[in-house]
Amino acid sequence: MSANIARATVGSPATASSRMRRRRTRSTLEAYLLIAPSLFGFLAFLVAPVVIVFVLSLFSWNLITAPQFVGLANYRRMFADGQAWHALLNTAYYVLLNIPLQTVLALLLALALNRKMRGAKFFRVLFVLPWMAMPVALGVIWNWFFDPRSGIIDHLISMLGFTGPNWLTSTTWAMPVVASVNVWQYTGYTMLFLLAGLQAIPQQVYEAAALDGTNSVQRFFRITLPLLRPSMFFVLVTNVIGSFQQFDTVYVMTQGGPGQSTTTMNYYIYQQAFQLFHAGYAATLSILLFAVILLVTIIQFRYFRKRTIYDFS
Amino acid sequence: MATKQRRVGQRVRGTTVYLLLAVGGLISIAPYLMTLNAAFKPQSTLLSTQAWTPAVPSTWSNFTTLWQQYDMSGFIVHTTIVAGVITLGQLVFTTLAAYAFARLDFPGREPLFWGFIAMMMVPQIVTLIPLFLIMSHLQLIDTYRALILPYVFGTPYGIFLVRQYFQTIPADLEAAARIDGAGTWGILRRIMLPLSKPILATLATITFVNTWNSLLWPLMATSSERDEVVTVGVAALQGQFASELHILLPAAAVALLPLIAIFLLFQRHIVRSIALTGLK
Repeated sequence: MSANIARATVGSPATASSRMRRRRTRSTLEAYLLIAPSLFGFLAFLVAPVVIVFVLSLFSWNLITAPQFVGLANYRRMFADGQAWHALLNTAYYVLLNIPLQTVLALLLALALNRKMRGAKFFRVLFVLPWMAMPVALGVIWNWFFDPRSGIIDHLISMLGFTGPNWLTSTTWAMPVVASVNVWQYTGYTMLFLLAGLQAIPQQVYEAAALDGTNSVQRFFRITLPLLRPSMFFVLVTNVIGSFQQFDTVYVMTQGGPGQSTTTMNYYIYQQAFQLFHAGYAATLSILLFAVILLVTIIQFRYFRKRTIYDFS
Repeated sequence: MATKQRRVGQRVRGTTVYLLLAVGGLISIAPYLMTLNAAFKPQSTLLSTQAWTPAVPSTWSNFTTLWQQYDMSGFIVHTTIVAGVITLGQLVFTTLAAYAFARLDFPGREPLFWGFIAMMMVPQIVTLIPLFLIMSHLQLIDTYRALILPYVFGTPYGIFLVRQYFQTIPADLEAAARIDGAGTWGILRRIMLPLSKPILATLATITFVNTWNSLLWPLMATSSERDEVVTVGVAALQGQFASELHILLPAAAVALLPLIAIFLLFQRHIVRSIALTGLK
């Protein structure tokens, strides 16, 4: 860049500035050429759909014939729809079953791996393997695991002298079983991020704290956890957003049942649109889910921003 | 005496840690192993033996039955085409856009970039019903194009990931190349791409995995056997053969294994850079 400027200033001032301007126009053009495909995809398949979803929420549409304008009827219906709120509560319950357990387990694994030891790499690969499993296939496998007749879970429980409930036909147990798929799948992946965060904490901080006579429990709560906040923040925000969108395992394992007990918001929206052909109403429901996710994310941002005050750069 | 005690304490702690890790590792791979194992058990012993009993005698007959009942090869071919095209497209388009956002100065860069980032928060379901509307208007429902088009141009997440990585490559390298007369294309090809292999391998894996595993959009956008993908196929099998494990478990194994193979091929890059993506 500086070479170009130097070369340009050799000429007369007038041509130099016009050449600079031409150069700038050219580089702007070049930049827009580079982002053009992404920008097209972004506008056509992300921005346009988000605009359309708000428009669709004012229409009644059966997926086949032309949509009919109904004003705010879908919104009025939503606020009176007990099943929608039930689905939202179910989703929140699913998130609460998932996130704390998964995060604590991931933190334990990360702490265990955060030391000089043989086989650390091997274990890391092992723990990430669940991440890439197809949730649909996992649904099939978990159905087998929790089957009352041939399932491994009931067999293990009976070896301990207990009898298991009918997991997937029980309104109490179906949701925890569905959530356990996600915990298995994402604990190792979450661990990777937390481990990276742990490894970024400078060793001197611990040495200084040890000189001050602190014990390991104090060091964990006063140093490790606060300094892990940036990683924790990333992991929680992305996992919570992901968990709110549970669909696949519910679709394969329980179809939302028994009763409505595992009907998550995504599953309910899918039912409304593609089984009952209320696509306009489904659009309205998806806006509700969007709003809830946005709200939860903003709360997390607030909470973490206030408390993340450490900077070692 | 005291040091001896401490050494014993350390060894106990070390063993506990290994034990914890071993249990975690076992739980991580057990579902894979047991599914694969069960897929080779004859139908008669599948229900009568435990999940951990080895498949002796073993048989391929479950796979033959599965292939007779269902066009599994077709599912795999369709999914590979869709996931392959999307992955290739994302690699190319994301690299171009990420470079522009990381290194070129152009009017509108900041608002555009933050526009991309803001859209990362939009849940997928919000876009799917409108996408169905768009695709049925274009008469693309039930075609490969409906599955590929929405995702082939890249995602905000991918652009963010690669841009962050590009920013860590020293700008001096690029300045030197520019002095030597290299254009943007030359810089991308000779400097950025060779230095970005880890992040591009990560993007490729994440994209391929996500596409291979995605159920909701293919479920909405396809309805016939000629473009049905693995997820939709396996979900349909579960609906049709709910308790016939000798058909379901081989199908699950077939759906899971290709990704494991890809991962083991790239794991050196991926494990390292997945962790990097979370840092900044």
